[in-house]
Amino acid sequence: MTGQMTGQMIGRMTRRVIGRMIGRSWGRPEHAMPAISLLLVLAAFACSPLLSGRPLEAFDVYNASQGFAQLGLLALAIGITMIAGEFDLSVAGTYALGGMLAVQTGAHSPVMGVLAAVAAGAAVGAVQGGLIARLRVPSLPVTLATYIALLGLTYTMSGGLSVTYANADATLWVDQQIAGVLSPRSLLTLVAFLLAAVVLGGTKLGRELRAIGGDRRASRVAGVGVDRRIVGIFTLSGTLAALGGALLGYSYASANPDPGLQPLILAIVAALLGGVSLAGGRGAPLGLLAGTLSVALLAQIVAVTALPDFSTQLLYAALLAVIVAVESPGLRQAIERLRARRTGSTAMTPSQGGRP
Amino acid sequence: MTAETGAVAADGSARRWPPRVVTAGLAVILLALLLIPAVTTPRFLTLDNARAILASAAFVGITSVGATMVMIAGSGVSLATSQIATVVAMFFLGTQHLGLGAALLIALAAGVALNAFQGAVIGYWKADPIVLTIAGGFAIGGAATWFSGGTTVYPGARGFEVLNATPLGLPLAVYVLLAVTVVVEWTLRRTTAGRQMYLVGENRAAARAAGLPVGRVTVLAWAVSGACVALTGVFLASFTTSATVTLGGTLTLDAIAAVLVGGTAISGGHGSAVRTLGGAVLISVISDVLLLRGYSTGVQILVKGVLVLTVVLVVHVRSGRGRR
Amino acid sequence: MSQPERGGPLLRVEGLAHAFNGVPAVQQVSFTVGAGQIHGLCGHNGAGKSTVVKMLSGQLAPDRGRIVIGGETVELRGRQAAQRAGVALVDQELSVVPALTVLDNMLLGDLGVPFVNRRRAAAARCRRILDDLGLERIDPDQPLSALGIGERQLVEIAKALGQNARLVILDEPTATFSDAESRHVFAAIRRVAATGCSVVFVSHRLAEVLDLCDVVTVLRDGRDVATGPAAGLTVDELITRMLGETSHRPSAARGPAQDPAHALRIENLRVPGRLGGFTLTAPAGRVHALAGQLGSGASDVLRALAGLHPGATGTAELRGRPVPLRDPVRAARGGVAFVSGDRKSEGLFLGKPSAWNLVATRLPALGRAGVLRPGHERRAARALAERSGLPGERLDDPVGTLSGGNQQKVFVGRCLENADVLALLLDEPTRGVDVGGRAAIHRLLRQAADSGLVVIFASTELEELLELGDVIVTMRDGRMVGRHEGDVDGALLMRDMTGGAEHA
Repeated sequence: MTGQMTGQMIGRMTRRVIGRMIGRSWGRPEHAMPAISLLLVLAAFACSPLLSGRPLEAFDVYNASQGFAQLGLLALAIGITMIAGEFDLSVAGTYALGGMLAVQTGAHSPVMGVLAAVAAGAAVGAVQGGLIARLRVPSLPVTLATYIALLGLTYTMSGGLSVTYANADATLWVDQQIAGVLSPRSLLTLVAFLLAAVVLGGTKLGRELRAIGGDRRASRVAGVGVDRRIVGIFTLSGTLAALGGALLGYSYASANPDPGLQPLILAIVAALLGGVSLAGGRGAPLGLLAGTLSVALLAQIVAVTALPDFSTQLLYAALLAVIVAVESPGLRQAIERLRARRTGSTAMTPSQGGRP
Repeated sequence: MTAETGAVAADGSARRWPPRVVTAGLAVILLALLLIPAVTTPRFLTLDNARAILASAAFVGITSVGATMVMIAGSGVSLATSQIATVVAMFFLGTQHLGLGAALLIALAAGVALNAFQGAVIGYWKADPIVLTIAGGFAIGGAATWFSGGTTVYPGARGFEVLNATPLGLPLAVYVLLAVTVVVEWTLRRTTAGRQMYLVGENRAAARAAGLPVGRVTVLAWAVSGACVALTGVFLASFTTSATVTLGGTLTLDAIAAVLVGGTAISGGHGSAVRTLGGAVLISVISDVLLLRGYSTGVQILVKGVLVLTVVLVVHVRSGRGRR
Repeated sequence: MSQPERGGPLLRVEGLAHAFNGVPAVQQVSFTVGAGQIHGLCGHNGAGKSTVVKMLSGQLAPDRGRIVIGGETVELRGRQAAQRAGVALVDQELSVVPALTVLDNMLLGDLGVPFVNRRRAAAARCRRILDDLGLERIDPDQPLSALGIGERQLVEIAKALGQNARLVILDEPTATFSDAESRHVFAAIRRVAATGCSVVFVSHRLAEVLDLCDVVTVLRDGRDVATGPAAGLTVDELITRMLGETSHRPSAARGPAQDPAHALRIENLRVPGRLGGFTLTAPAGRVHALAGQLGSGASDVLRALAGLHPGATGTAELRGRPVPLRDPVRAARGGVAFVSGDRKSEGLFLGKPSAWNLVATRLPALGRAGVLRPGHERRAARALAERSGLPGERLDDPVGTLSGGNQQKVFVGRCLENADVLALLLDEPTRGVDVGGRAAIHRLLRQAADSGLVVIFASTELEELLELGDVIVTMRDGRMVGRHEGDVDGALLMRDMTGGAEHA
């Protein structure tokens, strides 16, 4: 009797905790998005031997987790700004800058390189956040400009060429296998997600983050220090992106002055699959984690099954199309309209027939 | 403006400088700041250099003039521009054997159709432009790779070389850029549809409640923009005489940068095609000056970023918008 | 009523002034509020009420003057500073976040809430505060977006009253409430005041102010012109002080019914969850009023006819031609012009000149083959400005810089003199409009009806309903309750609208 009750209680508690961490109610499709997409992709990953003809190995999982590490911090960075209703395109620039700085300054001491990258990322983020908060500028054009400027900066630093990283020890260390499937790099990324989940789920910061994204004016009136939070959010996104870039630079043993838009776009896809909406106010770190894992696994599935490259692109397009369909208010209205027309016409018939 | 206090403040009689004058003044100061180093640069004030500037502004300029219309109509930005330009270029070169006219028509139709479709989803379904165009970019890019087999598309005939002509020493693309600017500006200022674009961009909910054709207006803006992207794609294809999946390059962001430097607000309802033309030329001028003075590509990109940032901030502060 | 002058003054405002870009909004305002006192702040639009509230709540810094709270001069730089000084606010605009739950909203921004979440304690407190306001039906874990506007407003009030503040400011808190809800809120305000907390109450509803407040301060043109006990004051006296002269109440003219063929026939109009089976025939020439509180379905009738409810079903016919539902563009083409109750977000193009706004819906008619004709457009805008009583020199100014009354004139003027418009539907036609502007708008609507338009408006204000409505249709819970023509008194309407017997 009591055992059953505690069991029920524990069940309810876990549901509640998980629900809160991932983003509340499971009832609506946009809230279930991260879990559904992750489960689907996991299932596909498990089924991939059917197509490739060889069983999955730990190495495949390791590769997926490396892909996760490559994307994760960038996705977390942009995802958090998206929850707050902002959109930090400059993370792609900070990512490049972080890699370049770490590779150039961290030849002797990798830690120094990471610190330099993180400091630069934080500084760039803080300045941007300050501008956006103080002047109330939409973040897209500002961060786009910063992205271009940062790209120019990395070009200037490297003379437009890839810079190699000579410290082979660091390269080996960040990618060494842990438990067969993880590496310090992916572990660090995972820790960042969990840390974010604990902090945002357990303190008032999570509430304020979603409030700022949900209704900026109301948050201000309610007494949330919106401006300070926004500076913080952009500082955080800059830091995370630079850290991600630095780790990637070490892993590749080189830094590319222009990684292109691909990492950014994938990070946005991960955030969107993770249940974050561009309108802001929705999403949580664990959802972002699920979204990022989905994207990383998807890339690995395509690699394992040796599908042509473009199929990844088409898959992403299909997934985003689902998001567009779920989130577009107009589509919901169109369906409602259609339903109304049908019920309207059926309702009309008897009443007209009933007339003398 | 929030609440009645704003209305009270502005309803009073005290007048300051009209915003238009201030904006113009700022533009003059900015130009002076840029032009002084320019004219003191050796070889800057030569006809050849002017041609080079215009020529380099033309490709991105054509796309950005079209993108202005999308931004004014309140749909923000398209992130699928490069991919559409690439696909159009492939269509254009792949259909050269049908003759230049037919190939041009097919290319334009492809650009218009692809963009108008995205515009329809945004206009009628209120989809988020960024999410939708990322999806569109993936779909178009993926399909392009699929159908081209990831290889380079070479033309079956050389009819397109007419487009590389340089009447009066200027590339044809420059004339097309000017013509496109005039047409777009005229559409925005003098037609019902153009006015409606400003209104929809200013306040979409109000436009809907007023019974304005929000969907149709949005589709039109995207279609025009698609035609512009297609023109850019056609010129890119003619210029490079072959098309690969990476042909579009950095067109997407370059075009947005030019629109922003032209002072168009990303939130919609304000802006002009002529100013975008100015933005595109300004970016070219700066790159040119830096190039002539021996600065690297990196510095050119860096300065471009700083320029975009400056203009965005100045325009925003001047118009006093975006108070949420 | 609670007792006036309990303890010393808690809030003292001395010579407060604030100007926007050199234009004074508040010039010289002083008053004191005793501990436990409920203090009313009255004044018509532009008198400076909101500016005073913004200064008291830390959203604006005064140019001159002092704010003294509990004997200490305070400088309120920002909402957080104001909260630290013990000031809680219910803003004029709804200021809760739909993306959060009720509980999260109650905790948001509250300085007393610890950094690390303590859910159990917070939930218990939230429950207690909600119960105090008669909100037993609201679950703290519900997302706010699941609640109606009125309930969201109640949550915001609950939040402010629950913050253990020394001073609670309520700026137009009851605008969306039914009588029953107002009663609950007033009882809660009195309870909070009885604990020694001071309350500043700002409202357009003067009867409410007199009912609730101990003392009333009247503002006019940015100055306090009178302060005195509310007891013994009448609404008319209050209006006289607000305006400086007695307000003129035009006698309601009952227009003649015109050709019955020129009517709007609504049959069995339904909106799922909002409106159930509404039928009405509104002939042209008479002004029809839909009387109903928020949620009664009155404004949903108008929105459905304007095509803004995608789920609406039923039929509507205007001059014998069917009006398409569910599509605003086709509704407009069918002759329906809709003036939303939310002028800012769903009405005007605030950043665009008044002239553009006036002609926004008739562009095709003013152009030729899709090309605008600036001369025609200019003339049309001038004529409309004159017709709607808008100062002609403001035509080129962004409409957002006009006063509320002038904005509304632009909004209504946009629908006039337009051959395509056969029916004019207005939701709260004078919300946020000063007394003078209100009379002008009423005149415009009367003229529109006389010129042969079908005019239907929805309102929650009894005075407006009685003044303007030739036929008054009362609504409650998505259904029509009664239809009144000719003489009818406010009490009867109120009974219809609020379900009379149950509450009264």
